[in-house]
Amino acid sequence: MATVHARREPGRYLVLIGLVALAGLMLVPFAIVVLNAVKAPADYAANGPLSLPQEVRIQGIVDFWQRVDFGRKLVNSALIAGSVAVLAVVVSVLNAYALGIGRIKGRLWVLVLFLIANTLPQEALVYPLYYLFKQVDLYDTRLGVVIVFTIVQAAFGTYLLSSTFVAFPREILEAARIDGANKWQVLVRIVVPISRPTLGVLFVFFFIWTWNEFFIPLVLLVSADNQTVPVALGVLQGQRLMDATTTSASALLGIIPAVAFFLIFQRTLTRGLTAGAVK
Amino acid sequence: MSTRLFAALVVALLAVSGCGGSSGDSDPKTLKLWHYEDPDSAMGKAWAAAIAKFEEKHPGVKVAFEEKGFEQIQKTAPMVLNSNEAPDILEYNKGNATTGLLSRQGLLADLSEQVSGRGWDKLMAPNLKTTSQYDERGVMGSGKWFGIPNYAEYVTVYYNKDMFAARGVAVPKTFAEFTAAMDAFVAAGVTPLAVGGGEYPAQQVLYQLALSKADRAWVDRYQRYTGDVDFHDAAWTYGATTFADWVAKKYISPEASGVKAEDMGLSFIQGKFPIMVSGSWWQGRVAAGATGFQWGSFLWPGNKLNAGSSGNQWVVPAGSKNKDLAYDFIDITLSPEIQDVLREAGGIPISPGGTPSTDPAAKALNDDFDTLAKNDGLAYYPDWPAPGYYDVMVSATQKLITGTASPSQVLDELAKPYAENRANIGG
Repeated sequence: MATVHARREPGRYLVLIGLVALAGLMLVPFAIVVLNAVKAPADYAANGPLSLPQEVRIQGIVDFWQRVDFGRKLVNSALIAGSVAVLAVVVSVLNAYALGIGRIKGRLWVLVLFLIANTLPQEALVYPLYYLFKQVDLYDTRLGVVIVFTIVQAAFGTYLLSSTFVAFPREILEAARIDGANKWQVLVRIVVPISRPTLGVLFVFFFIWTWNEFFIPLVLLVSADNQTVPVALGVLQGQRLMDATTTSASALLGIIPAVAFFLIFQRTLTRGLTAGAVK
Repeated sequence: MSTRLFAALVVALLAVSGCGGSSGDSDPKTLKLWHYEDPDSAMGKAWAAAIAKFEEKHPGVKVAFEEKGFEQIQKTAPMVLNSNEAPDILEYNKGNATTGLLSRQGLLADLSEQVSGRGWDKLMAPNLKTTSQYDERGVMGSGKWFGIPNYAEYVTVYYNKDMFAARGVAVPKTFAEFTAAMDAFVAAGVTPLAVGGGEYPAQQVLYQLALSKADRAWVDRYQRYTGDVDFHDAAWTYGATTFADWVAKKYISPEASGVKAEDMGLSFIQGKFPIMVSGSWWQGRVAAGATGFQWGSFLWPGNKLNAGSSGNQWVVPAGSKNKDLAYDFIDITLSPEIQDVLREAGGIPISPGGTPSTDPAAKALNDDFDTLAKNDGLAYYPDWPAPGYYDVMVSATQKLITGTASPSQVLDELAKPYAENRANIGG
């Protein structure tokens, strides 16, 4: 017993040290952003990006907030990402129910199609979307962006959920049918509650992915009133000069909501990830 | 989350996101204006003053200003201008690949009538007009007017007066004195030139060197496709070999190959280098940041031609519903009052008022520009002639800095994409 312990301990510590070092390394860029966000521009000019700020100055953050009307962008981003996350989960569940549990004919090809749609670069989608949306008056509307990302995210969700639904315990489904449940009742009363942890994970991912989207919102949301947080951060991208302290302030403002959302829902996440592990 | 709550959430989110609606209808009482300058920059300050003056002169008309990102305008301008969401007036980049392209696509209003009617052309040095006029191929230099600049910019030499004084170096008047000054710093173990090889600064040094052996016809051939360009001619060969020579003589550090423009500027502002060759757009930054030493700027010695041009310009979309208001606004930005605001904030106005600036640094910068403009000395920028040429230039100058390619090989590298583009546009 003692020998087993002795052999195990150093290894464990090594792994722990390695993980701490890795976590520290991952946090370095974040730390630099925070450092420069609260630094005065003159301080930055004199001492560069890596020095500690001489005094904490939140004026840069306040200025940026007012300059781009950040509150409005937060509302827009929350609306778009929230709608997309909810709708994409619903669409994914419906699709996956038909594909994974209903096992419709040709489901393999349908899945391949979804996968291809998923791998399409967004640059290829932008021009067709632009022309289409102009025709139906969805150009420069948040609804348009919600529709696009619901489809993009649902394509991935369908693919993922279908494969988990294929492994759904048949006995439960049969038991429900014997009890007289119709297809709709099976979905709402059996499948959705049992796979709720997985759906929670999808919801969180869809929200964060949509929140961070830059290119399509950049092109489709023209007016400042409709723009999202990442597009607002782009305002600071000058042609030749960069305002490092304001850029850091904006980056900090940009990350905080996504991190906050992640922290709020992290229990859902861990539950979803371990759902299959416990019998 | 209960099913009911879930359903309610969906309905609520849809309801709110649906009511976004488009605001395409143009109101005759608003002028929709976009630009992408930082509010603290010279242009940002001048245009804020112009907006105030415009609203004062046009009671009842509101300016709906939206600050855009440079990248957003670059990527989406053709799409936006082709839709109902287009602004009434916007700032846009000058050059064949930007304003030229939009004018060819018919997305911009022809300003020629306004230019002659309001006398805008008389305010500008002939050199500056080049980037305002585009022919039917979208090539600058002749044809109709599509853009009106407010300011100019050029490549100048920023220097650290304290470091010059410590080594007893005077401001060089000739090219020989310039290299002698750099030799003095090398002898003292100081790398004289702050250069950013990872971005635009290095190619501007190369271009300045080539321009010292060039004439106006050479620039026209290269920039406006008026004749054949030989990258192994005297000017280009001199530029590339001298650049390589400067690296060998330690005027430029081999480490400069990966340095970004921002870091170059910062290193100069921190007093780590005595000289920085870069654009006048640094003026405001240097003035605000370089507090620990005296600094100034002088024209690159010995050149008649110098990298520089008009700044970005106002364009009016063809679909603008308030063209007359847009023209009035442009007129106000060109007034001496607004032009002086621009100068005092560190910019170079194209038609300043009569009184010179009281700030010696601003005065020197503007006087040097006047010298260039009067002598027909603006030669634009080396990366203009072909789309994607910027990256070619960056990679080529990096090879000169690291010494991985000979000057002749580097010139071959520059020649190929240039020739391909010329073939494409049928120049």
